[in-house]
Parts: sequence; structure tokens; C-alpha cells
Amino acid sequence: MDELFAFLQGEGVNEALLRGAREFRDAHPVAAEHAGRVPTPEYFYYGRRIWELALAALLAGQNLLLAGPKATGKNVLAENLAALFARPMWNVSFHINTDASALVGTDTYDGRAVVFRPGPIWLCAHEGGFGVLDEINMAKNEALAVLHAALDFRRSLDVPGYDRLELRPETRFIATMNYGYAGTRDLNEALTSRFAVLDMPEIAETDLQKLISRRHPGINVKIRDQLVKLYAELERKAESAEISDSALDLRGLLDSVALMERGLTSGDALELCIVNKSFDSYERTLIRDVISARIPADLTRGDVFRA
Amino acid sequence: MIKKRFSGSARRARNIIWNAAGRYGFETPFMAFYPNGTPDGYFNMVVGLVEKWLGLSRVWAFFARYGGDRRAEEFDELLWLGLENCVYEKELAERPILERLRKARAEEFFDMQKRLSRQQTEMQSMLVYTQQEARWASVSGRSVLLSPRERRMAEALSFPGVLDAEGVVAAMEAFLLEFFRFVPPSEPAAPKKPGALASLLLRHEHKRRDTLLVRTGTAEGDHPRAVQVTHWGLGRYIGPSAEDEAYIRAVFGENLLAGRELHALENELCCGIDEGCRLWLTAPSAPAAGSGAETRETASAREDAARQHKKNEAFLHEHSRAVQGSIRRLTARIDAVLSSFLRREPEPSRAGRIRPETAYRLPLLGDTRVFLRDGEERESELCVELLLDASQSRMNVQEIIASEAYIIARSLENVHIPVRVLAFRSLRGFTVLERLKDWDEHGCEGVLRYFAGGWNRDALALETVGRLKSDIALQDRQRMLLVLTDASPNDSAPLAATDTLLSREYEGAAAVKAAEDAVRSLRAGGMRVGAVFHGSTAHIENVHQIYGHAYVRIQKAAQLAQGVSELLLMLLRELRE
Repeated sequence: MDELFAFLQGEGVNEALLRGAREFRDAHPVAAEHAGRVPTPEYFYYGRRIWELALAALLAGQNLLLAGPKATGKNVLAENLAALFARPMWNVSFHINTDASALVGTDTYDGRAVVFRPGPIWLCAHEGGFGVLDEINMAKNEALAVLHAALDFRRSLDVPGYDRLELRPETRFIATMNYGYAGTRDLNEALTSRFAVLDMPEIAETDLQKLISRRHPGINVKIRDQLVKLYAELERKAESAEISDSALDLRGLLDSVALMERGLTSGDALELCIVNKSFDSYERTLIRDVISARIPADLTRGDVFRA
Repeated sequence: MIKKRFSGSARRARNIIWNAAGRYGFETPFMAFYPNGTPDGYFNMVVGLVEKWLGLSRVWAFFARYGGDRRAEEFDELLWLGLENCVYEKELAERPILERLRKARAEEFFDMQKRLSRQQTEMQSMLVYTQQEARWASVSGRSVLLSPRERRMAEALSFPGVLDAEGVVAAMEAFLLEFFRFVPPSEPAAPKKPGALASLLLRHEHKRRDTLLVRTGTAEGDHPRAVQVTHWGLGRYIGPSAEDEAYIRAVFGENLLAGRELHALENELCCGIDEGCRLWLTAPSAPAAGSGAETRETASAREDAARQHKKNEAFLHEHSRAVQGSIRRLTARIDAVLSSFLRREPEPSRAGRIRPETAYRLPLLGDTRVFLRDGEERESELCVELLLDASQSRMNVQEIIASEAYIIARSLENVHIPVRVLAFRSLRGFTVLERLKDWDEHGCEGVLRYFAGGWNRDALALETVGRLKSDIALQDRQRMLLVLTDASPNDSAPLAATDTLLSREYEGAAAVKAAEDAVRSLRAGGMRVGAVFHGSTAHIENVHQIYGHAYVRIQKAAQLAQGVSELLLMLLRELRE
């Protein structure tokens, strides 16, 4: 994790906060059986201010709600935070049918008796982990009521028929919430008030440049900059509702660079990772127009990467 | 090259312009299309870059100054070459791909020249052609022979990238002065016709009048280059002339609306934004115009219509099994929908279940009808009008629309719902409603006379249908209107100016809004209106805006039965509520 600390120092993140994170790690060593749950991030989140806000909130014992549109790095940040604090991570993807038993646990028969089989939230609370509640607003608010006591000052989980579980002090919950697409709903006030809410900004051009360069150090910077501008143009088009945000896919952009490195031409790579994310043929035409006004379709590995 | 045109690809062209400009939503006075109707990617990008670096309104204001001059179109083409060079130099560092795109555009220019017919070549301005050739030759590394004057002109048209908006306007003025001894007036051109205001931009249109063009339909469905028609400019619209009326009469036959009825209808409907427009109701049975009115143009339009009639019949014959299957399915579905909606309604009676809320009437008033009993099952008291968009944008789906309308009309007839089929188009200022099948007409073969050509002024057509008298026998029935549409209204006759001096073109948001208002007014008058949308995704928002939820989208014939029955169900629900 020294790499992540070094990265954050390089980004100019407040030293006191980083020191706090280091002290937190030292005070709460991870148990050997859960060491495998501590994530090793593939991407680093870029954005000094957001890092500082998130660190401050977590160090103060708060839970975090990362809210923002698609491709703003919510899950990357959540994973980075668990890595920085060296906590085992439990990831729960919420959906419309998520219910209390899927979160806390359920009864099961172990061959001799009916026993409690803990769910991810219970395990997270028990082991002092970081629980990532992914797309929390996909679930019905009623299903989330079970989390209220765990998320507020009571810091406990009462499982009916079983004991009350006190959360370990190092336990934190980081929820993500994507607004604006079908199926999502607003969180109710009771739940929102239990989080510190971070409004995730869209990635800045300079941060996206750094992100690409970090992953692909050999990339030709001129091409990289054009890719970054392309992403900004797609973002603008989606904001203006000329296309849906299905093609606005940061992972897709990074994947397309990876494919170019593997030897696909720029046109094929972008078609695969950006254009084809839309299933409307007219929309695909509009997206192709944006791409063809930035990136030639016949760039080869040799053009995109330095030898 | 740079034209203000309508085409199915206009949204795409706008998107290219907006993307290059870096901002969205502004109205662009210029769009560029290839002769086949597809957007010219490079030149649309240039238009966007002019907005980004110079401001389109500045350039547009300059172009408007010489709008009335006969050489205006030539000047446009030349000055856009100058602008192209200027913004190219400005943008190149930011967008290195421009160099490639420019070279590709140059190659395209030479390719296109090879493919032009002699007629097309003759229509080109030599002056413009030479300058374009000079530009694209220099870009693509070709050599070209130029006279000293032409060479000086080409150099003058290489506006450098260091110029700002003021500098570009000055360069354009200097160019026109040096090579044409022309100083554009500081104000837009003065009125040319007595009583009419200046038509600044008529130059885009004045060469051609609307003509029915039905020859090139492919029956293969729409594709981006499907249709290309040119608007009037933005001048004050004066309305159709006697010559226009003669043309309409010769092509469609006499107007079935006449005298006081026509006068009253036009007085009521052809006002506001439709000021100056005229109405024409016709039917295949309408008396033909005298032979003296026939010209080559009208004869050819009538022949084309007859040819399309045969094509529609052939198409129906060729797909007869599928068509019969669709009629069977749709009939069954409509029947099911109607029977679920026309179940017995309870009605007051002297015996049955007591209605507590009216029980007091029995002792006080001696009213014994305080009970409810199951009512009689009522006949389907509906009549349905099908309104077919017959504008040129439907050209490539004429046979499909004719057969869909035939299927719907036959299915409704099968369940004894009276149906009338009308096609509408606008042409030379007239909104023409063609009655393909009347209420009392048995059989739906008349529907196969449908053909596409002209424009569609949806709002006026909708309102006219709302005002047309229905049969006396049908007056107690609930009228439903199903519109087969692509939800893309536009007309060559502009939106008449109501609050400004100049008219706006009848297209885009304003035309959609007008259609939306028309539908709202029909609904307020008690008519249930729904749409069968058969158009591109680009117009989904339009259909939603015009018809609200009361529409279904049909992309292939197999969806027709389900789509239309769902729509009927939706409208019946509305009716009940």
C-alpha cells in the first residue's frame, strides 16, 4: 500500500489526513484469515479534494455515500479507501429484490440444527471491515431499514432470534449511488442522514490524462490527449441528451487503449469498447461522428504507443 | 455545399456542428450535405468551428447583408472557402485529425467531380468550381492551372488563422470589393415586392418550386439519405398563387370543399402561424380539372401517382398471405379489446341491487328507479379515422404504409366500426387532404391509391380533419383519429410571422409545438387521437411531445396487430375515464 500512499502524497493530499490513515491501519491490523479481502486497486482515484473529504469523514467515524453520475469513479474510490485503510472489504450489490436476510443473514440447517448464516453486513460488522453498498438506491427503502441502527450512533445490528452484534470500531460503510438512470430512486431521508454525502464530480481532463498514462506509460501523449478530449465530447453530448450515457464509459475508454496495446486498430478498439455500448443504431452513428472527428480509425499499436 | 436544407439527417448534421463548436442547443443557420443527402462531416465541422472561433451570428449577419443579391449563393460558397481555411488553421493544434479529414475531403471533391453528370456539371458555377478545385488541389498536392486573377482570388480566400471575427468580416468585405466590385449594404436587403418585406434568405429556394417527386421511392424503408427537399427562405410568406392553385387542381382534381364551407374553414384555420395557407379536400372521385390545365409537370405527377397505385397493389398481392394473417390477428385483437370494454354497464332500473345513495328518492319522490341492473350490451359506438402522412419523407415506405393502412381499415371494417382514410400533404401552400376511403364506402382498395410527395403541415391537417363534418349517421359515435406518422412536420410555406417581421421555417420545435397544440385542441373537442409512429428514433421525442403517451411505434409489419390494438385499448381507456 506504500504505492497508494506515495501516489496520494504526490497528488498533494493533506499530510495530516494521510498520517491519520496510517495510524488507523496500525491501530487495527487485519486478521490473517481476512487479509485476502483487502483490495489491491487496479486504478487509483484522481481528485485531491475528494480524497481529503473522504479521508476526513472516515477518520471521524462516519459512513460515506458517494453520489454521482456514471463514470465518476465511485467504486474505484471505495476500493481505494479500503486499500488505504487496509480493511477487508465486503461488497454488496443492491438490486430491487434485496431484502434484510440478504444483507444481515439468514437461517439455515447445518445437518443438526437450525443456525444463523451471517450475511455480508453482519460479517463486515463482526470483522471490522469496510462494507461497500453498491448502488444502494436500487433497493427498496423498506429493505434498508435494517441498516439504520448499524449506520447511526448505535453502531449495532440486532438480529431477531439471535444476539445483538456491536460493530467493531473500525467498521465503515461506503455506499454508492448513481442518480438518473432507470430503476434508481432517491434514498429516503432516514437513510441519507446516516451518511456523509460526497457529490462525485466528473473526472477532470488532467486527471484522466494521468489515469491513462499511469496505466499505459508508453502511450503517445498526443493520442492520449485526443482520447481525453473525445471523452469530454461524449460527456457533453450525453449531458445535452443527444445520446444516452451508455457510451459514456470510462472503463470502455481505458479498455479500448488496452486493446490498442494488444494490437487492435484504434477504430476497432473504439467500436468495441465505446460505440457498441449503445444499442440504438442512430445513436451509434452520432457516436461514430464524434470519434471520427478526433481519432483516425487506422491507428496501429505503433502509432498509439512509443516503441 | 453549405445549404440550409431539411433532410432526415439534419439532427446528425447539427450534432456534428454542436460537437465541433463545443456547445449544444443553438440553432445553426448553416448545415452541409452531400448531394445525396448525407451530412458532409468535414464541412459541418467547419460550421461548428466557425461558431467556436468566430461566432456564427457574426458570419451570418454578414451573409444576410447581401442576401438579396443574385450572386448571393456564389458569394456564400466562396466565402465559406475562406472561413474553412481560417478555422482550419485555428483548430489544427487542438485537433490534429483535421489535417487528415481535410485531405480526405479534398479527395472526395475530386471523386465527386468524376461522378457528376453533365447536367450537374453545367449547373455548377465555374467561378466557385475553380476556387474549390484550387483549394482542394493545394490540400491534396495536385497541381491546377489558374489564371493570374484566379490565383489571386485563391490566395485571397486563404483567410489566415490569426484573424479574429472582425478581421474575417473585413477580409470578406475586401474580397467582395476586390473581385466583384461589390460592397454589401450595411443593412439587409430592402423589400423587393410591394407590400412584402425583405426576404433575406430566399436565395436558397427561389430557383425551384415544390413538385411532387414520387419516382425514386425504394419501398425499402428509410435510411439517412432518404429524402432531400429544400425549404423556402425565411421571408414573409405571401401564400399560393393562381398558378399554384391550377397545379393542385390539375394533379388532385377539384376541391370538394367549396363556397361558404371552404371560406369558413379557411377563415377559421388558416390564421396565425398558418396565415396564407389554403385547404384542399379531394378524393379519387372528385371531378378532374379541365384538360387545359394539364402541363407536363402535372401530367408526370399524375402518372407517377398511378404508377405508385400499381406498385401498392402489387406489393399487397405479393404479400397477400402476410397481409391476410395481419388482418385476422388485428381483427381478433380489436374484437377482444372492444368486448372487454363494451361489457354490460349497470343502469338504473326498478329492480335489482339497491343504490343506497339514491334510496331517499323512493319514499320522498316516489321514484322507483333506485335499483341497478346489468344494462344491455351496447354496440361499438365508435368510428375511426385514419390519417396518413403522405409527405415526401415517406417516399421509401409508400407500399408499406399503404398496406398497413389497408390492414387497419379492413380489420376495423370486419368488426363493423366505420372507418374513413385520409392522406395529407402540403404543397405550394395548400394542405391537401385526399380521401382514400369514405365512411360508407365498402372495401378498402381505395387506400392503395396512397402515394408520398410534398410536405407535411401536420397541425393544419389535424385541425382540418377535426373540423370536417362526419356523416349524419355517425354523429352520435365517438370519433377516434389514428395518425400514421413519422412525427417530423415540415413545410415549405413558413410559419407565418405573428410577432416578428420575418417568418420562420415550418420545421423543428416550432412545427412540433404546433402539431402538439392541434392534437390538444382535438382532444379538448372530444376526439380521441393516437399515433402509429413509423419513423426514425431521431423523432421519438417529437411523437411523444405531440401525442403524449397515446402512440405506438411500429418498426415492422409483424408488430402492427399488437401495436394498433394496444393503441385502441389506450384510447378506449381514455374514453372511459
